[in-house]
Amino acid sequence: MDGLLNRFVVKRLEPVVRAAGWVARAAVLMLVVLVATNVLLRYVLSWSPVGMQEAEWHLVSPIALLGMAYAVYHRADVRVDFLYERFGPRTRGWVDLLASLLTLAVGALIATLAIPYVMQSYHTGEGSPDPGGLPYRYLLKVFIPLGFALLALQGLIDVLRAGARLFSRAAPEDSREPRP
Amino acid sequence: RAESQTTFNWKMTNAYPPGAPFYVQGPGSPTDFCKKVEILSGGRLKIQHFAAGELIPAMEGFDAVSKGLVEMNAANAYFWAGRIPAAQYFTTVPFGMNTQGMNAWIYHGGGLELWNQIYAEHGLVAMPMGNTGTQMTGWFRKPIENVGDLDGLKMRIPGLAGRVYAELGVTVRLLPGGEIFPALERGVIDAAEFVGPYQDRRLGLHKAAKYYYTTGWHEPTNVTELIINKKAWDSLPEDLRAVVRTAAQACNVESHAWCEAVNADALTDLVTNEGVDARPLPADVVAKLKEVTAETLESLAKADKTTRKVHDAFMDFRGKHESWAAVSEKAFMML
Amino acid sequence: MSGNEWLILALIGGFLTLMMIGVPVAISLAVSGFTVGFIGFGPMLFSLLPARLYGVVTNYTMLAIPLFVFMGVMLEKSRVAEDMLETIGRLMGPVNGGMGIAIVIVGVLMGASTGIVGATVVTVAMLTLPTLMRRGYAPSIASGTICASGTLGQIIPPSLVLILLAEIVGESVGTLFAAAFLPGLVLALVYVVFLLILGRWRPSWVPAIPAGERATSGGLGRDLLRTVLPPLLLMMAVLGSIIAGIAAPTEAASMGALGSALIALAARRMNATLLRETLHGTLTITAMVFFILLCAQPFALAFRGLGGDHLVHELFALLPGGEIGAVLFLMLLLFVLGFFLEWIEISYIALPMFLPVFHGYGTDMVWLATLVAMNLQMSFLTPPFGWALFFLKGVAPPGITTRHIYLGALPFVLLQMLAVMILFFVPEVATWLPKAIGW
Ligand code: NA
Ligand code: NA
Repeated sequence: MDGLLNRFVVKRLEPVVRAAGWVARAAVLMLVVLVATNVLLRYVLSWSPVGMQEAEWHLVSPIALLGMAYAVYHRADVRVDFLYERFGPRTRGWVDLLASLLTLAVGALIATLAIPYVMQSYHTGEGSPDPGGLPYRYLLKVFIPLGFALLALQGLIDVLRAGARLFSRAAPEDSREPRP
Repeated sequence: RAESQTTFNWKMTNAYPPGAPFYVQGPGSPTDFCKKVEILSGGRLKIQHFAAGELIPAMEGFDAVSKGLVEMNAANAYFWAGRIPAAQYFTTVPFGMNTQGMNAWIYHGGGLELWNQIYAEHGLVAMPMGNTGTQMTGWFRKPIENVGDLDGLKMRIPGLAGRVYAELGVTVRLLPGGEIFPALERGVIDAAEFVGPYQDRRLGLHKAAKYYYTTGWHEPTNVTELIINKKAWDSLPEDLRAVVRTAAQACNVESHAWCEAVNADALTDLVTNEGVDARPLPADVVAKLKEVTAETLESLAKADKTTRKVHDAFMDFRGKHESWAAVSEKAFMML
Repeated sequence: MSGNEWLILALIGGFLTLMMIGVPVAISLAVSGFTVGFIGFGPMLFSLLPARLYGVVTNYTMLAIPLFVFMGVMLEKSRVAEDMLETIGRLMGPVNGGMGIAIVIVGVLMGASTGIVGATVVTVAMLTLPTLMRRGYAPSIASGTICASGTLGQIIPPSLVLILLAEIVGESVGTLFAAAFLPGLVLALVYVVFLLILGRWRPSWVPAIPAGERATSGGLGRDLLRTVLPPLLLMMAVLGSIIAGIAAPTEAASMGALGSALIALAARRMNATLLRETLHGTLTITAMVFFILLCAQPFALAFRGLGGDHLVHELFALLPGGEIGAVLFLMLLLFVLGFFLEWIEISYIALPMFLPVFHGYGTDMVWLATLVAMNLQMSFLTPPFGWALFFLKGVAPPGITTRHIYLGALPFVLLQMLAVMILFFVPEVATWLPKAIGW
């Protein structure tokens, strides 16, 4: 189990979540620069292309959706630990396993539901209704199945980790420990 | 006989938010349409109405009805210009036709057939269900004396008109409805287009800008679109289809009549009590806008085969209608 | 009770149970929504879910969340914010509760520049919570003060809640902005008075800065200039760019984000590590907010699909007491709904349905909308399901437990009820300003 955890989870799965996080962080930086640039260009030069305005809210999609798994990976998601902190280590382990199984299920379900939605946008060739707006709306919509698939992946990682903790004699690891 | 016993429970979504007069509630509105259909059908066709955000977001109705997730959606066809560039023509055309002309084209000039030909590919049936009548050019913080005054002007104006203004040097700003007022009031934008006197007064735009330009060149009419899932439509018995068609026609007339009445009151109130300066655009500005509009429409028609077809059909009918209108409505207005 | 009513109870009960045992809030919402929804009407309803998710991540006003969070994280990581609060705290000198009052002031300033609760609570928490803990504040009072100050932005214009309410009740946005301005300040004032009283009654909960430290750290004037001026300039950059007409309220947040980077640069603290940490912090916090908003969609869809809104409507029909009775009941209803639902859901469900009743009575819509806004704001603070509380929990240091946050929110919920009562009996608090300035 420990070998599996190291070989598979740490070496193969977690880098995927971190890579998505890298893309989302780049999107955050681009968003800050883009919105500020748009404001200043419009004020100083009265110049404000429709496409650049649309790009502003287009960037929120990768940030929000790719960022979800990254936030869970870094234990930055919100939990109510009112009872949890009173549980013993075994009970906590079971709660962790349940939570990660549910995360896996929710991620997989929503990703599956979203695929036909993206395909419809692809088939109709949907773009911005405004002249000068951005084309290829499906590229924007594809972050929905992608983000929730990543969430399912993070759920799988946590299932394996929680399982290892419960069923092997490995050193107990607190799942709520924030990662650096 | 068995068919006449069946009760249909349908859902209608709407691109406009809860409470919006004309677009959601009031005489001839989509909620009124649902009520009319239920009464006329003796309760055999019940349509539950959902405003934007209640079931799905504002602009998601096209896909939802196309896939049959809901049976009906109320919106304006030009919202779907990102999927079907020609859809623009079924809402309004800059310097196109007024409401009378538009209704004539749609009902008896081949417009409705074209509309449904194009929408059939998406599994949809379409028909008009309302009209705001002539809209207004919009609110300006400073007067527009000549074409040069448009250069560098920051304006909230979506769609095709935005592209025409942009050719004249206007900076086009896309803003959601809720941000129009604060942006105009603080001068983030110098001008904004919304709907007409009644709706604009609700948004308080007269507190933010005093010049209200009246020539609604960019939206001389504005058709509310009803789309219906094709399979659901085909499943209706003939009498219920007639009920839907008739209720939509009734709403088309009634909503327009309502707008004409409340806009008259609202404009009088704005001018006499709020110090609003309502005036038409200068003739040379209109002439220039007309010229650029013609070029813009031509370039759109060139880019897409379907748009070409609809554009030509629309313009043919417009030419025919114009000659009649010149000796009827226009002549009457000049009396 | 009908089948659907049982299902609605199961929906709420299932969510609360999962959440309470420690399943992430977002996952608890999604799981209860999906399970009950599938039982209630099969898979069809959830085909609409992707459209709702797309609506959440493409909502223009949501832009302000990452931008404001960036500003907050940058100020925190560069320790600029820490210096500011230290100095304001010292300025408050011997006053117990002084740091808390400083937070309320920061909350008002932040609130005047954004209407996003997630961003404000998270930013104020990051700016202040570590400092307060180090100063020996009671954890519950510290978190309560932060949540309450952070939600002030909902009532102080510009605010998303007010924009939506204006749309729903049919008043202009400008009128509601003007109407909510004084009630917002009244609320802030109530908080300040509470903290002052607390400072006299339980000084150890809200300690002043030790006299020794104040004495040794001379040059307060210079420190003030050095530490308070830049962040204050930053607040002015956000507010100023709105007032001067440079930026619309949402995009003004970018001026704050840009300004915070410039200030870190000016303080010679900008480097690659700071930027990397800021981006990491902004991403995890923003994603945490969106994770909840996205997973709330299946829940909301199930609630609506099961006719939760009709259930509420039927409750209203049984009502005695005329106009005042109806207003009071609406307030009570919004308060109770606020325990479970997001404010957007509440405004969509309860308001449009009952507006005809109030139109019938000829109720002043400006007053009613302001009352509703105050009440919705309260729902951000009510345990167990207050958004402000979740957002705070997301960024709180390990020493702060859910229990601290719930306990700390209670006095502020009571204070808000007091403010709602003031507004109820003295409608002029809301209606005077719009009339006075002609809006
Ligand atoms: Na605000
Ligand atoms: Na709440």
